[in-house]
Amino acid sequence: MATDELPAARATPEVRITVVRTGGFAGVARRWSVAPPPREAPVWAELIDACPWEHTTGPPTPPRGADRFCWEVAAAHGGDARHAELADQDVDGPWRVLIDAVRSAADDSVAPEQ
Amino acid sequence: MHAIVPPYLLARLAASPQARYARAAEAARATLAVPRRYRPVRAVLDLSVEDGALVVTASPAPDRVISDAQHREVLPGVRVRGEDDPPTGDAAVDEAFDGLGATFAFFWEAFARSSIDGAGGTLPATVHYGVDYDNAFWDGQRMVFGDGDGDVFTGFTRSVSVIAHELAHGVIEHAGGLVYRGQSGALNESIADVFGALTEQHRLGQRADEASWLIGAEIFTDAVQGDALRSLSAPGTAYDDDVLGADPQPAHLRDYVDTTADNGGVHINSGIPNKAFHLAATNLGGHAWERAGAIWYRALTGGRLTPTADFAAFATATLAAAAQEYGEDSEEVGAVREAWIGVGVIEDGH
Repeated sequence: MATDELPAARATPEVRITVVRTGGFAGVARRWSVAPPPREAPVWAELIDACPWEHTTGPPTPPRGADRFCWEVAAAHGGDARHAELADQDVDGPWRVLIDAVRSAADDSVAPEQ
Repeated sequence: MHAIVPPYLLARLAASPQARYARAAEAARATLAVPRRYRPVRAVLDLSVEDGALVVTASPAPDRVISDAQHREVLPGVRVRGEDDPPTGDAAVDEAFDGLGATFAFFWEAFARSSIDGAGGTLPATVHYGVDYDNAFWDGQRMVFGDGDGDVFTGFTRSVSVIAHELAHGVIEHAGGLVYRGQSGALNESIADVFGALTEQHRLGQRADEASWLIGAEIFTDAVQGDALRSLSAPGTAYDDDVLGADPQPAHLRDYVDTTADNGGVHINSGIPNKAFHLAATNLGGHAWERAGAIWYRALTGGRLTPTADFAAFATATLAAAAQEYGEDSEEVGAVREAWIGVGVIEDGH
């Protein structure tokens, strides 16, 4: 019910996830972002927690081959903020599930900065 | 020359009863008598009789193998067309096949290079990769093409410059490689764009002054406001679209973009060496692959380039290649020097 939601709660969502994809042959950066309503937060928190954030510190080593996508994922859950940079080959398992979920829930838009 | 006359042909010649082939038959028998390792490579054989002598000319031919990922992200996929197979009727398969053929012909006719490895090796490609997949890439072993999402991108095999760009990444890797990050990565991208543009110009028989100098002119949908993905003649002007934004490529070193995205902006800063090649090629005129292209190719394959080369190191390599090929005081050395000065990579007065 709308009356249950305080304006303050809507202004600072519990979960916010942003996916930025750069590189690829086209070199066109794209950004997808979701800030789900509080009632959906637990589902998204599960997707976030399933990813091995601690194993992905710093930029990935240059990939084999060329023109693969590069990925950046940023997730804020309450006061907890996490960030990862991934090579295309590493977007697998829980990362792939999270990124696909964000992309399908978000409106496509372009990353504003390079 | 890696092409060889296949044993079955030698055997037929050796057994030829016709007197006018006597010398050829003798030579064939002698050749067959020598023990040798048979390494199969494909070749185009042209047989003719001139003044009673059998003349056999052989030139390398591509060995293309196209696979279909069937919209999954698993490589290589199912093999759907080999070198001797007729067109399949699947546009992506046949476009990849034809594009690889055009690229093979370009590298052979322009630089006498046979295939990616320079030894007539297979050209492996996979099409229909993934669902709505907005990319084409080189995975270190094969060229992979998505079909595009239909909103922004159509199929990536529609563009010969895209196909040639991906094959060129293989050539660069076999030449010693350029680390895919920062300036060496941007050089890797730029050289792939240069050979992509040159393949298209070679196929169309265009001179430098009549070429589009565009990469991927065929793969945007009509909804996108743009001519292509990149422009070698005017980096930063290829597109300016509400959704995609504007082409971010610089055309001069002073505008180099420092970023952690895209492996350090390899698809962005490639605009700088791209413009240098365009300046050299248009300054020299004629078919761009004949002089400017040959200089870039020699710089890449001449053994002077390290995998971590920056723009300045590559400029030095092109100047050395031009001097070796045409002489220190040649028009070609002058044009290459002016080109790198024009994009700020070397200083005037060097």
